[in-house]
Amino acid sequence: MEKLLSELKVKIIEILNLANVYPEDIDENDQLIGGKLGLDSIDLLEMVMMVEKDYGITINNKELGEKVFASLKALAMHIEQHASAGSQ
Amino acid sequence: VTLQTATARRIYVAGVGIVSPLGHGLAETIESIRKNRTGLRPLTLFATGKNRGGPVGEIQGRLENPSIPRTHQLACIAAEQAMARCRYSPDAVVLGTTTGGMAATEEYLKIKERDSTYYRYHSLGSVAEVVASRVRCPGPVITVSTACSSGAVAIKVAMAMLRTGRMTRILAGGADSLCRLTYYGFGALQLIDPQGARPLDQDRQGMSVAEGAAMLLLTTDGAEDALAEILGAGWSCDAYHPAAPDPQGTGALAAMQRAIEDAGISVSQVDYVNLHGTGTVDNDLSEARAVNRLFRDKKPLVSSVKGAFGHSLGASGAIEAVVSAICISEHLVAANTGCRHPDPALELNPVAEPLKASISMVLSNSFGFGGNNASLLIGTANTFTPSVAKVGDGAMRVKGSACFTGAGDAQATLLFLSRGKSCKGRLSDGEICKGLSPAETRRLKRLPRMALSLALAAYEDSGSKVVPLSVFLGTGWGALSETDSFLDRLFQSGERLSSPTDFVGSVHNAPACQVAIRFKATGANITTTGGDYSFEQAVMVAGLTAVDETGPVLVMGVDEGHGELSALFDLSVLPGDVLSDGGGALCLIRGGNNSGFGMDCIFFQNTKNNPDIIPSLIDGLGGPESVNERYGALLAGIPGGFREKGEEQLRSFMTLSGFTNPVIDYRRFTGEFAAASAVAAVMAVRLAQKGVIPGPLFGGKDFDLQGRGVLILGLGEFITAVGVAQ
Repeated sequence: MEKLLSELKVKIIEILNLANVYPEDIDENDQLIGGKLGLDSIDLLEMVMMVEKDYGITINNKELGEKVFASLKALAMHIEQHASAGSQ
Repeated sequence: VTLQTATARRIYVAGVGIVSPLGHGLAETIESIRKNRTGLRPLTLFATGKNRGGPVGEIQGRLENPSIPRTHQLACIAAEQAMARCRYSPDAVVLGTTTGGMAATEEYLKIKERDSTYYRYHSLGSVAEVVASRVRCPGPVITVSTACSSGAVAIKVAMAMLRTGRMTRILAGGADSLCRLTYYGFGALQLIDPQGARPLDQDRQGMSVAEGAAMLLLTTDGAEDALAEILGAGWSCDAYHPAAPDPQGTGALAAMQRAIEDAGISVSQVDYVNLHGTGTVDNDLSEARAVNRLFRDKKPLVSSVKGAFGHSLGASGAIEAVVSAICISEHLVAANTGCRHPDPALELNPVAEPLKASISMVLSNSFGFGGNNASLLIGTANTFTPSVAKVGDGAMRVKGSACFTGAGDAQATLLFLSRGKSCKGRLSDGEICKGLSPAETRRLKRLPRMALSLALAAYEDSGSKVVPLSVFLGTGWGALSETDSFLDRLFQSGERLSSPTDFVGSVHNAPACQVAIRFKATGANITTTGGDYSFEQAVMVAGLTAVDETGPVLVMGVDEGHGELSALFDLSVLPGDVLSDGGGALCLIRGGNNSGFGMDCIFFQNTKNNPDIIPSLIDGLGGPESVNERYGALLAGIPGGFREKGEEQLRSFMTLSGFTNPVIDYRRFTGEFAAASAVAAVMAVRLAQKGVIPGPLFGGKDFDLQGRGVLILGLGEFITAVGVAQ
């Protein structure tokens, strides 16, 4: 889980182009959308694409998206639960 | 600096053309509405890697002319229908579109086609140009791209042009074809309903993308058998978010209120509202709030036709103007197809089945990405008192200016120019983003960054304490980096992955929307596009429509040079040349004291079907004497792709006007990019303010303007004149 969380922090900073934000600045329990990082619905969907691309997991509706991206921890847990065997 | 109070003029819908998933032509469309048919079916136009689900509004049957892209074909079909009974050519064509030749372009980019001839019809502006050529229009050809309100915005622009009394008939409307960019883009935003759009339904999940075109022949010339009259139009910007509507519907409400004010009628006279009603959760809720705020006591009939037609983006506003005209002429209210259980939260009762009713006034809403809203009021012909609307006439005063070239900002550019040095090239990202915060630019690529920076710099230069409320932005090619990034990722992943950020950023009106959000500019937010004349279109539309402004108005032109796409799309950009880009922004003010230089788009005509265009130009400028008295210098814009033609036009202008003052061939300094004329406008302002044209710019001695202004000519396919004078 720790490894996955660190990995996600780096990915999020990169894909969302979060200048001046470092992995240690992100608290995995914080609200992810509408929280300190200044992320909104478009960022959420950008992360949906990343999760599909890198973990092979589809998140195709708003309700599920809101649940999965409630916090970084929720996202990591969702990925752990749904990652198909053999994927990264 | 006058605002003309126009003679009240009726604007008739004298002819209409429509092609949509519900049929070709008026008769088939009426029949489909009457039978409550739906045009939503599974997509067949292109194969999808992984079907993201949801039917689309695809036009059935083969189109006839594969030599032009699908959007162009649809627009031509609608145009020919609209003009079928008219003996004259229209004085202007105004068209709204968001995809232009994208359906064809993506096919070629997918196979990495590098021959630029395949991309000849890529630009949004080329749709209106092809239409203009078909209907032999010698006048202005204007393309607006304000996402899903484009078709309605085009009709408002045409109205403003007709109200000046200088034109009699204008062909206006919108067109868009299905393509991967929008299909996957809306998919990435999770705005597609897998069951097909169910506007206003409690279980709605999104829209259905569609295609189509509608063109309306609008005329002030007493049309006895007119289908309807356009009574008024209003627009606004949410200035809230690049893709989501303001949840309270404040912008939507403002657009409706402005349309009502423009028509000079009262809210209670509206019989029916043709809703934007896309079927997305957020749009329908926000729009319902706006409608409920406007119609407090007596609610009119309401319905959205997007469950039947789908959402044809830039065409939808024009298609729904036709649906509104049908409603009036046929006494037929279209059903809110697809809605089974109206969402109680919306507090609206959509028309469930096609309804026979005597309707004399319709309010038709169109809202788009970037919070670009427009509403049209359409009524029974010769029934209501025509509105005495204000019309913009004459120049607005320049209060501030800013530009970017390869040399740097306006100051650096002027310094280079005064030494006769080239300003070609692309300014570094660091220079462009000076003054912008990382949070503000993190999702933006080159074009919106330049636009935002330029707008802020022009505003700062103006010294105004009042922020601009309206933004008019011309761009020849839009956000190329975002478009390239979106398609690249899509094709690399076998059409599996598409970036919502890139999609939202790829629309032509995204940069103007960023400017609006920054300034909270809730007035007009209009993006014009038409290759090398995009900025001139913005100046023209601003001049015509920015009539109620007490504060400054931003008018700008900007284009990015893209390593791959610029040379494919813009025939003035050659692969060996120094890739150049930039733009200019002006902070203009209407009224107030008359100090400073004024700016105005004085002339805009099509060279096609127009043999006497140069004499017309000189006439438009007030004759040879006036040209020489008024202007001490000429900035000539000759796009590289039309070098010979442009030089010939310039020679002809010099001969016929007897102009002997300095002439500056400015693209030799700026390099080739569509918005170079916006840089020229800023140069013109700064040079006029200094009062001297530096010798090295034209190969002579420093030239004293003696209080005269500077004329900016656009040459090539169109001829335009923008004057900067006292």
